[in-house]
Amino acid sequence: MDHLTIAPIVVPLLAGTAMVLIGDQRRTLKAALGLASVLALLALALVLLRLADGADTEAVRVYRLGDWPSLFGIVLVLDRLAALMLLLTSILGLAALVFSLARWHRAGVHFHPLLQFQLMGLNGTFLTGDLFNLFVFFEVMLAASYGLVLHGSGTARVRAGLHYIVVNLAASLLFLIGVSMLYGVAGTLNMADLAKRIPTLAGEDRALLEAGAAILGVAFLVKAGMWPLGFWLPTTYAAASSPAAAILSILSKVGVYAVLRLWLLLFGGAAGASAGFGGAWLLLGGLLTIAFGSVAVLATQDLARLAGASVLVSSGTLLAAIGAGQVAVTGGALFYLASSVLAIAAFFLLIELVERGREVGADVLAVTREAFGEAEEEDLDEEEVGVAIPATMAILGMSFIGCALLLAGLPPLSGFLAKFAMLAPLLGPNGGSVPFISWALVAALVLSGLATVVAMTRTGINAFWASPERAVPRVGVVEIAPVLLLLALCLALTVQAGPVMRYMHATAGSLHAPQGYVQGVLSAPPSGSGEGSGR
Amino acid sequence: METIVALGIGVLTGSGVWLLLRPRTFQVIIGLSLLSYAVNLFIFSTGGLRTGAAPVLERGVAGDLAQQADPLPQALVLTAIVISFATTALFLVVLLASRGLTGTDHVDGRERER
Amino acid sequence: MPDAMLLLAIVGLPFIGAIAAGLLPTHARNAAAWLAGAIALVGLLLVWVLQPTVADGGVVRLELAWMPALGLDFVLRMDGLAWVFAGLVTGIGLLVVLYARYYMPPEDPVPRFFAFLLAFMGSMAGLVLAGNLIQLVFFWELTSLFSFLLIGYRYQAAAARDGARMALTVTASGGLALFAGVLVLGHIVGGYDLDLVLASGDRVRSHPLYLPALVLVVLGALTKSAQFPFHFWLPHAMAAPTPVSAYLHSATLVKAGVFLLARLWPVLAGTDAWFWIVGTAGVATLLLGAYVAIFQHDLKGLLAYSTISHLGLITLLLGLDSELALVAAIFHVINHATFKASLFMAAGIIDHETGTRDIRRLSGLNRSMPFTARLAMVAAAAMAGVPLLNGFLSKEMFFAEALWAPTPSQLIYDLMPLAAVVASAFSVAYSLRFIHGAFFGPDPVGLPRAPHEPPSWMRFPVEVLVLACIMVGILPAATVGPFLDMAARSVLGAATPPYSLAVWHGFNLPLLMSVIALAGGVALYLVLQRHLLSGVEGPPLLRRLEGRRMFERTMVFLSWRLARSLEGLLGTRRLQPQLRLLVGVAILAAAWAVHRRGLEPGNLAPSGADPVLALVWAVGVACALGAAWQAKFHRLAALILLGGAGLVTCVTFVWFSAPDLALTQLLVEVVTTVLLLLGLRWLPKRVPVSGLDAATAARRLRDLAIAVAAGVGLATLAYGVMTRIPPEILAQYFLERAYTEGGGANVVNVILVDFRGFDTLGEITVLAAVALTVYALLRRFRPAPDSVGTPEQQRDQSAHDAARPDRQVGDTAADWLLVPSVLTRLLFPVIGLVALFLLLRGHDLPGGGFAAGLATSIAVILQYMVGGAQWIETHLRLRPRRWMGAGLLLAAGTGAASWLFGYPFLTSYFAYAELPGIGAVPMASALLFDLGVFALVVGATILMLIALAHQSVRGHRSVPRPTATPTTVRAPAAVGEE
Repeated sequence: MDHLTIAPIVVPLLAGTAMVLIGDQRRTLKAALGLASVLALLALALVLLRLADGADTEAVRVYRLGDWPSLFGIVLVLDRLAALMLLLTSILGLAALVFSLARWHRAGVHFHPLLQFQLMGLNGTFLTGDLFNLFVFFEVMLAASYGLVLHGSGTARVRAGLHYIVVNLAASLLFLIGVSMLYGVAGTLNMADLAKRIPTLAGEDRALLEAGAAILGVAFLVKAGMWPLGFWLPTTYAAASSPAAAILSILSKVGVYAVLRLWLLLFGGAAGASAGFGGAWLLLGGLLTIAFGSVAVLATQDLARLAGASVLVSSGTLLAAIGAGQVAVTGGALFYLASSVLAIAAFFLLIELVERGREVGADVLAVTREAFGEAEEEDLDEEEVGVAIPATMAILGMSFIGCALLLAGLPPLSGFLAKFAMLAPLLGPNGGSVPFISWALVAALVLSGLATVVAMTRTGINAFWASPERAVPRVGVVEIAPVLLLLALCLALTVQAGPVMRYMHATAGSLHAPQGYVQGVLSAPPSGSGEGSGR
Repeated sequence: METIVALGIGVLTGSGVWLLLRPRTFQVIIGLSLLSYAVNLFIFSTGGLRTGAAPVLERGVAGDLAQQADPLPQALVLTAIVISFATTALFLVVLLASRGLTGTDHVDGRERER
Repeated sequence: MPDAMLLLAIVGLPFIGAIAAGLLPTHARNAAAWLAGAIALVGLLLVWVLQPTVADGGVVRLELAWMPALGLDFVLRMDGLAWVFAGLVTGIGLLVVLYARYYMPPEDPVPRFFAFLLAFMGSMAGLVLAGNLIQLVFFWELTSLFSFLLIGYRYQAAAARDGARMALTVTASGGLALFAGVLVLGHIVGGYDLDLVLASGDRVRSHPLYLPALVLVVLGALTKSAQFPFHFWLPHAMAAPTPVSAYLHSATLVKAGVFLLARLWPVLAGTDAWFWIVGTAGVATLLLGAYVAIFQHDLKGLLAYSTISHLGLITLLLGLDSELALVAAIFHVINHATFKASLFMAAGIIDHETGTRDIRRLSGLNRSMPFTARLAMVAAAAMAGVPLLNGFLSKEMFFAEALWAPTPSQLIYDLMPLAAVVASAFSVAYSLRFIHGAFFGPDPVGLPRAPHEPPSWMRFPVEVLVLACIMVGILPAATVGPFLDMAARSVLGAATPPYSLAVWHGFNLPLLMSVIALAGGVALYLVLQRHLLSGVEGPPLLRRLEGRRMFERTMVFLSWRLARSLEGLLGTRRLQPQLRLLVGVAILAAAWAVHRRGLEPGNLAPSGADPVLALVWAVGVACALGAAWQAKFHRLAALILLGGAGLVTCVTFVWFSAPDLALTQLLVEVVTTVLLLLGLRWLPKRVPVSGLDAATAARRLRDLAIAVAAGVGLATLAYGVMTRIPPEILAQYFLERAYTEGGGANVVNVILVDFRGFDTLGEITVLAAVALTVYALLRRFRPAPDSVGTPEQQRDQSAHDAARPDRQVGDTAADWLLVPSVLTRLLFPVIGLVALFLLLRGHDLPGGGFAAGLATSIAVILQYMVGGAQWIETHLRLRPRRWMGAGLLLAAGTGAASWLFGYPFLTSYFAYAELPGIGAVPMASALLFDLGVFALVVGATILMLIALAHQSVRGHRSVPRPTATPTTVRAPAAVGEE
């Protein structure tokens, strides 16, 4: 009985607990602990990815908590999608943590344990196979993210954090309503079981079930930032400290994940009368989100806000692509998801370095100073930021171009291939007729790319070229390294597009044909030899 | 019975939503509390309303749905209560911090310009 | 196969070189130049080596798997056309590198320049050698990117920034259009491989999507090749260093567009749509560019517009439905590259040696730099189409096509020759202007530098190119013949028409047209002399038509004003509208779902209403509404009413057999109320304002409607769920096994700590995370200035005490609270016991870790209320964070412990133990887990309560500060800090 599947949840939990016990003053120890934990998570994620991508295409690994039958207890389910998300999470966790070591983790108490709990919540969300447990992990993730968003305090953050919290509390209530309705009608909380029961549901119950599902969907779409539910997103992300924002860039994808997982599982082709429920809305909402995101991208001069707006664009792209409901397109969307998560995280980290030593970024610095200039924290001035590395501006500039290319979907980085991977199957190289909505999506993707190019060129020129005697910022190696790592990964995605794409298509395949998942979960054998002692 | 509880849920929700849409942070927190009551009742109600059937067994006897109410919704509600307690506390502190930093108790952290 | 590998080298080496150059030290100009030159030379040699293979219609192909799942391979493919362009890219590249070595000022960070140049070279090579369309787009965008960086090389100058930005915006947009077009093409032919696409021309032309595909692809080509109406970016790209102009804007980048048109000629050409779109753009650009070029005062500006016009000529040729025209087009591409590159270099030399490029200031350089002058004259003559030079030959072919190529409309057919003659007359005029203005006339006065010949190596590239012009001009068949043939055949295949590359075709119409053009051009230049000398900016008639200003205006409008207003229109940054939307969308979503199927009444008859419960709920409803009503102005009242609603909820739980819920709800109730009470003190005073304006009233009405809708909606859903037969399977399972397998009689608790213990673990993590956040936030808490002062009552009491000599400040409060404080201090251990009891029996009877934890923290907070913060913190030292840590550790540890026994996380083990007084206590591992829950709840709750309570202690100690520069006050040692 191996416990690999649950390790991604337990490791950060224990690490976080240890950090709670360690006193505030011993930051180095906490940092070391956190580093160990994220590295362990990264290793785990890689192993699990390999396991999930096993020879058997439908391989799902089920972990029965408390050794109760999966129908009645809580199960963790590891499939390709979960493994992918775990990997992304651990990468982001590593990047954010390393970046924060330069200064941010000193900007306030409890950064390290909160980060660990954040990772735990994310991993749990991706692994759990139980609807209510999903809610619980959503809350873990959110509770930690509240802390991270507010990390460093300051007026802007508190203001944004308040909105973030209220909106998400309301969304959580919707989540609860939706879950309990599903339970009340279908009589189960296990996702796989739910998928099995929905087709057999009596007509008069279906209305309630679908109402519940719709409410649940709204809760997820709020997280994903779909128009008109996502106005809180750019403000919050822009206000958060850069490491927090980097982590948040996958948080917004959690909503997308939930849609991807549940919508395809519960309302896929096998859902009988409810098949494809709400798909049109998903596609439409996605398109509107892309449109609004592009407008927001254009409408700002502020880098951080631009990044926040591009989160909206990527969310919209994903929702629309998923809503298209074609296996190949979903595969492309997954590729895009990986690429955009890495890119946006890199961008959020980069922004702080670019803004540093710029008059324009003065307000941002003011906020951080406000956060740093505290009696109980060491006073953080620029000197503390490690050794300034040579050719800083060149590296920053190149990184910025990299981010711009990724967000705009231009070659040579993975953004271009990601868009291609979605658009090519959308049009389908078969000469047949293409529905209007697909054309709309093609247009939306191309135009959003154009908007991003324009906006990024404008802001980039302002940031790097137009400010004549700008002080070259002091940038620590630990700060630029994560950015370069993330961008390098995007480059790797381009070069290794073949195998990556195969994985994504396999993932999409099993998402669209979830019988394997359902069977795997429901027929999970008891792990212990016989019953537990005392039973 | 169902009617009464349903109406109760409705009123709690209504007043909660009304407060949720108000401009003052204190109104919002009260509204969220009311809403969480409503939602807890709602979750609870999905198990059906049973009187005198507490899911507490006698020692050594296996329970039966005939005698006891559905315990699962109750467990879910308990979890929900805890979480909403935590988040309420957090929101309270955030609204105090916002009030302290911005000087106003408006949800936007600035009075609405008229 | 080796040849294929050579292709890879041609594309790959420049990129490797670029990286290497980027790593060179800032001023290693020689090293960088040598590196770049070597790479260009190697590239040229490789291209040359491949010539034999390609010569006889052979195609060199390299395939590497890239995205097989999407039918996308990395394919490099060299045929005749690609060979010619690759030759241009590497050959001209080599010359430009040599030229740049001398042109670029030594103080520049030249390695960066060469790095970009090499990267561009690689992208360009990749573009022309691309073996599938997606890859072509891939490199296409790369060329846009690097041209952006090269144009913006001198970014300190605003002109360079704007030029670069404009070039990127236009070409990248075109690239995106091309991307879309290529996708459509791939959709039509069922693949992106170039061979496949080239093979299926008929299918494409007959497909309903042909027109969209055509428009999109052509958009890409026209933007790249600076064709009307997208021509305006090119003149502004002249802000780039001259070597860049010589390379990108004569030979390579701008040729990418015409390359694409030639490449896809077999697929897209031959239709009226093609002629109208491509041909029209071409002829318009030809005339416009030539006309405007005459009136440029900047040498490079003149060359830029002449480039535009010549590209228009090529585009026009490609637009005609005639194989010969295609041959002419390719021929002119080669010729134009040679003479235009050399002219740019000459202009650069003039600039370099005199310090200006303004024709109005230059003159008589013929004497100071005779050799350069001769070279420039030859090149300019080639540009003007003077016989015995290469420009003449391709122009003759162009005239022939203008005369005889078939066109869809008679009118066009008649006008075409006229247009051709006029355009080339213009070109003669501006060539004359270039030469006469710069090299003839009196000696120049007041030039920044004294003009003299450049270093001979700087002139060398010009000499090579000019030599090429002459050689090709005199011996076309012998020199360029075979290559042109290669290129033409690779596009046209068997359809390649017979053509002769002779200098002399006898007296024929084209020759006549040439003569007319030459004469007309000279005459025109003489006529315009005065106007030109007057030195007014911009061409007559078209002075208004300033492409740049229009572009900037549209950009500012679209990408800024419009966007901002749209964002304001479609979005909001205020919270209330967002929540309104959230609730509204949720309601609509549910309503839509229900409406789709129609909600039938449940299959369960509702049980009769009990008057008592009805009464209870009447109170509950009153409380809820009252709270909603009072929350703004009477917070305390609202708080009490909220409590009332909570109590009613509790009663309901008890009523419907959920004692655990009731208990927990009650305890939570108490703690929450205390929290809120502690918070109230920091909120601003609010006095009711009488009367409300119409807008507010309307807003309230709308919110009321939403609220009612939400209430009705949830009530309906609740009723619908309740009147259905409740789910059984899980309930039955839990009830059956709770005792036998979970070891507890209180099923709910067994579920919490065993069946679904994982939920509880997550839940306490939430509590922990929140507590940490609260603490971190309150460390920074600053009360608003107006709530810093001590509350009224306290002031009164203090005043009262101060007034009496025999009393100390605070006595009154102490007196008041004497009895309760004594009681509560006695009560403390009692509550503690209760808590322990709740904890231990939790597994069997209502209670459990959470309830116990809350009870304990209530005990503590009671002490706080009566004793005051200081007293407590001196008398009992709490370590909330240790409690939390221990709790989490215990809970998680219990879960992990089952690993030791080879069971999954949280597998429970239990037995019973007799404890005196309490009776049989289930010693389930679940109890340890519950203990963890207990500890954490105590820790977290106390941490939050104390941190909040403590604010009031320190609140009035902290002096009010303006909110701009916040400071925080230390949290007490008792809270968290150890």
